[in-house]
Amino acid sequence: MILLLAAAAAALPALDCSPTPAWRESGLCAAQDDAARREKLPAPGVQWKVSEASATRAPWVDANGWRFLRNPHQAYLYDLPPGAAALAAAEAFAWQANALLRIDSADREPFARLLAFLRRIPAPPLPDRVNIGLIDDGSPAAGEAMNLLARRNLLFRLVSSPDPALDLNLHLGPQAADPSAFAAQVRRRLSDEKRLLRIYGSDVVLGRLTGDAARARLHLLNYGGARIEGLRVRVLGAYPKGVLAAAGHERAALTDYAVQTGATEFTIPEMSVYAVVDLTR
Amino acid sequence: MKRRTFLQLSSAALAADSAPLPSYRVVTSHQPAAKPGMPGPYPGVVASIQAEKSIDSETEKVDRPTVQEMIARGMRALTGQASAAAWRRFFSPSDVVGIKVNCSGAPGAMSLPEVVAEIVANLVAAGVKPGQIYLYERFANQLKTANYEPWLPEGVRIHAAEASRGALRHYDPQTYVEADFFGEEDTRSHLVRLVSETLTKIINVPNMKDHGAAGVTGCLKNIAYGSFSNVARSHRREKTHTLSFIGALAAVEPLRSRTVLHVMDGLRGVWHGGPISPNRRFRFYPRQILMGTDPVAIDRLLLDVIENKRKAEGAVSVWHHSMAHVKSGGDYADDPNVDRYLREPGHIEYASRLGLGVYDINKIQVRRIRL
Repeated sequence: MILLLAAAAAALPALDCSPTPAWRESGLCAAQDDAARREKLPAPGVQWKVSEASATRAPWVDANGWRFLRNPHQAYLYDLPPGAAALAAAEAFAWQANALLRIDSADREPFARLLAFLRRIPAPPLPDRVNIGLIDDGSPAAGEAMNLLARRNLLFRLVSSPDPALDLNLHLGPQAADPSAFAAQVRRRLSDEKRLLRIYGSDVVLGRLTGDAARARLHLLNYGGARIEGLRVRVLGAYPKGVLAAAGHERAALTDYAVQTGATEFTIPEMSVYAVVDLTR
Repeated sequence: MKRRTFLQLSSAALAADSAPLPSYRVVTSHQPAAKPGMPGPYPGVVASIQAEKSIDSETEKVDRPTVQEMIARGMRALTGQASAAAWRRFFSPSDVVGIKVNCSGAPGAMSLPEVVAEIVANLVAAGVKPGQIYLYERFANQLKTANYEPWLPEGVRIHAAEASRGALRHYDPQTYVEADFFGEEDTRSHLVRLVSETLTKIINVPNMKDHGAAGVTGCLKNIAYGSFSNVARSHRREKTHTLSFIGALAAVEPLRSRTVLHVMDGLRGVWHGGPISPNRRFRFYPRQILMGTDPVAIDRLLLDVIENKRKAEGAVSVWHHSMAHVKSGGDYADDPNVDRYLREPGHIEYASRLGLGVYDINKIQVRRIRL
């Protein structure tokens, strides 16, 4: 079985990687691996369920960040349809997931370009910046609640008991039976002012925020597929300096940068699948 | 860092009834002009010019000399000055002038090119160079359908805020209104950057149209929803927040101060299914232009035009506010007794309470001209 390795993801296992001639031209690495021991992931992307009634007008986003948060040591497998390889690779990189990708041969070129971009991005080991603690009962309903919190860029980590350092601690149990209502309630309880990350101009971009006392790194994943022209971002905390790296838009730089009222705001003029913003104090 | 003004509109105090209204946070660094463009120097005054020859209802061919005369007579009626002097009263050669057209129903319902071209001709005659005149609208595809370019002198610029739907690039990140209507993630509506950074004056050119959410769409709706991003979020299921959101947006600086003239193109109108209304059955021909500096007063007259036409056609009132006439899906496009939302024609009165103009019909002075 041919699997492609998302080589930039730091947590990947060491595999005997022997590129075949067909793949070598793309700069990719093909490898043998036992897919059966890996948890299969849904292809990341968006489902535009326009004919179905739902709680919101927002499209359904298939994203796997919450799965990586829930089981960070699990080995994963993306079995991807055409067109999904670059986003899946970016997602795995952003979450530093142990993931293998089985891609369509038509995706070799965009996948190679994305990997080349990722190789130029240093991956410092920074902890997640979150302000919500979740106590997970392991149920599917709790998983769906986590999915919807991630979907709304409500940044959380799992805790075994309430952490007083966090703004909000929640048990994920029966009260999360209606995940959409639960996520909305969490947002209200936290308040928008205290949200670590706000995104304006797209409802299909999800972020992961990491950082320490001196800096922050924001990964942005565009699940919608279409190029975005103008994404406004607000990160809680004052960071006078920010640098953008956007895959496919190497000359793009942050614009309309502002630090005020305890938050940093900037615009990403254009992005495709993935962008990373490094902020420093 | 720019100085920023935070204004929390006390919506509850302005509510037309006891229903709770959203809370709006207005963020702008722009200060109002000493005399803001809305309602401007002629509050409560509307020049209404009607001309049978203005448009042929069969062919929809517009008689340009008649339009020329309608606008000239309207400016004179409004200001008491001859046409050239009247235009110079509002615009100087140093101005950069935006013309906010309405193309949402193009090609069947839109600011007609003949009307827009006549406005441009008057601006040029007043000394504004073509390169300092912009036509603007939110969506590029609608502007393309409207196809104004052949009607304009060389140099006039045509600007779409969104080349692709949702693009924020041409909006001002520092000037916006924040409100949470239905728990949506993106709670901001940003002002078109051209308005805040380039234009010094704006002429608003709406149509006479019915609107499924706002009741009617005239001066206020065109300048408000047509100059800000992310406004469709104010409607969900049968509920729309147009009652307060339209006025809240129109009152934001610098939009309020820079919008100095309204020329409502009522040669052709729409009495149901607006704003898009592709069904020709719902088109009608009021053959009039309303001009003024007070958007509320003009829209107050528009309300009667649309309501009277609907009444004559046997359609339910724009004021019905009954779920009996509200239905999801596309039936509204063909049935004048079906709406998608509980309409909010009260947005015009609401805007008057924000100081944008005169709503009381008994206090509106209509200077009627019939050609």
